[in-house]
Amino acid sequence: MLKIKVLGVGCANCKKVEEVTRQALTYMSLQAEIIKVTDHAEIMNYSILSTPGLVINEKLVCSGRIPSQTELTTWMADAEMEAE
Amino acid sequence: MIDTIASFLLPLIESGWLSLLDYLAAHVLLCLLPAFVIAGYISAMIPKEVITRYLGPRAPRYISYPAAAIGGFVLAVCSCTILPLFAGIWKRGAGLGVAVTFLFVGPAVNILAIAYTGAAIGMDIAIARIVLSIVFGIGIGLIMAGLFRKEETDRAAKMADSGLFDQQVSLKPALWIVFLLLIAILLVGTLKVNLLTTTWIALHLPVEIPASLSTLLAGLNLTAQGALLILMLILTAPAAYLGLENVLIRFNRWTYVSILLMAFTLLLAAPAMSEGSLVIGIAGRFVGELILLLVTGIVAVHSFERQELANWMWETWKFIKQIFPLLVLGVFLAGVIKSIIPGTLIQNLTGQNTLWANLIAVLFGVFMYFPTLVEVPIARMFLELGMNRGPLLAYLLADPALSVQSILVTSKILGRRKTIAYVSLVTIFSTLAGYIFGLVLTIL
Repeated sequence: MLKIKVLGVGCANCKKVEEVTRQALTYMSLQAEIIKVTDHAEIMNYSILSTPGLVINEKLVCSGRIPSQTELTTWMADAEMEAE
Repeated sequence: MIDTIASFLLPLIESGWLSLLDYLAAHVLLCLLPAFVIAGYISAMIPKEVITRYLGPRAPRYISYPAAAIGGFVLAVCSCTILPLFAGIWKRGAGLGVAVTFLFVGPAVNILAIAYTGAAIGMDIAIARIVLSIVFGIGIGLIMAGLFRKEETDRAAKMADSGLFDQQVSLKPALWIVFLLLIAILLVGTLKVNLLTTTWIALHLPVEIPASLSTLLAGLNLTAQGALLILMLILTAPAAYLGLENVLIRFNRWTYVSILLMAFTLLLAAPAMSEGSLVIGIAGRFVGELILLLVTGIVAVHSFERQELANWMWETWKFIKQIFPLLVLGVFLAGVIKSIIPGTLIQNLTGQNTLWANLIAVLFGVFMYFPTLVEVPIARMFLELGMNRGPLLAYLLADPALSVQSILVTSKILGRRKTIAYVSLVTIFSTLAGYIFGLVLTIL
């Protein structure tokens, strides 16, 4: 199962990232655990300049913007393959 | 008893309503609507690396400080994004001074603040806000860097190079072309220049407004144009919601409808129309806006992919959702409060440009929290109640930087000592800046 972290303190973009991520998961019929990271210090651990940030299986895939469905499905497929 | 309550409330509501009308006037819409679109554009299309590469510890100070000050225009399009960005920049390795400069200057130089301050209060205040923010912001940054030099050198030594400041980025030329076109739309809509304002053709509308309607409009203090604009806003809002809320997933027909409605609103606001008459003045402004809107549309659709356009619309919509309702509420409340606060109080405290008056204005900004951009209608209210322009500028400089809420967040990022230093410096410099501005105005 994928471990996904959404980094952000609750702004509209952070919520959008979670929303589009869930949509991609549904589209791919994948299970994932989604954790919302809102603590500033923890977010800083991931080297991003501006929120939102998206981390899949501890790999930072996107920051500062909202990824497209195409990108999300590619990253998720990659993460699934690497996990095997 | 109902009578007395009503007679108390009605003037208040009327005052709020009149303020709101003034705010929704054509010239403010002509400035805010393009400003939101530009803000969305900068946020979606211009990567922050364009500026951050100049903010790193290796950049010479004569580059990094001005970049932090002026780059605020590209880095943060709204005061709400400044604190998180400041945290990111500082923690990722920029010097304390550089980051603090950005923190102070940001609220003054972002596109929304400039556009709205210019339209609602006056370009003189907007420009003064920008120039004095930059000058004093760099000063505050340098002082902070000097005060905490030892801590910063220790911190820099401990930090592995984050790589944030080495990123190169190349941007396609179309990006800058569309950007300039958007700025042109904003300027053509708002500049009071003869070329734009002289009426070329005066069109007489071939319709009759029924007498009851025109008395209603006059009673509400609306011109026909003003009423139509409000109607447009009411129509555009649900269309925008339907078309833009999920624009990142797909475009639907409401997306196109809402874009057309917004363009039409701009065109509707462009001609000059006087109260009670049915004569529309087609001036350079209208023709200019029409041409610019068409050209921008064509170039944008031609140069950008669907996803990029979607990102742009999403960011624009995000800002509108976040800011516009609060702004409307803020303007209305400012109108209400204006009729409650005695003008003599404001005049006594801040009517003259003294150091004391400027300090009072700054302190008021500290203790009153207003959501982003709302400090502008509040400032306008003070102006109308009699505040001198010097203390007014001091208030505008200090308020976004120093609300109780932003001080708390800054303290969590920087720690108490640095925050105390920052707050003191901002208070002193804002007071001085306002005072100097007031003096300069008397000389000019």
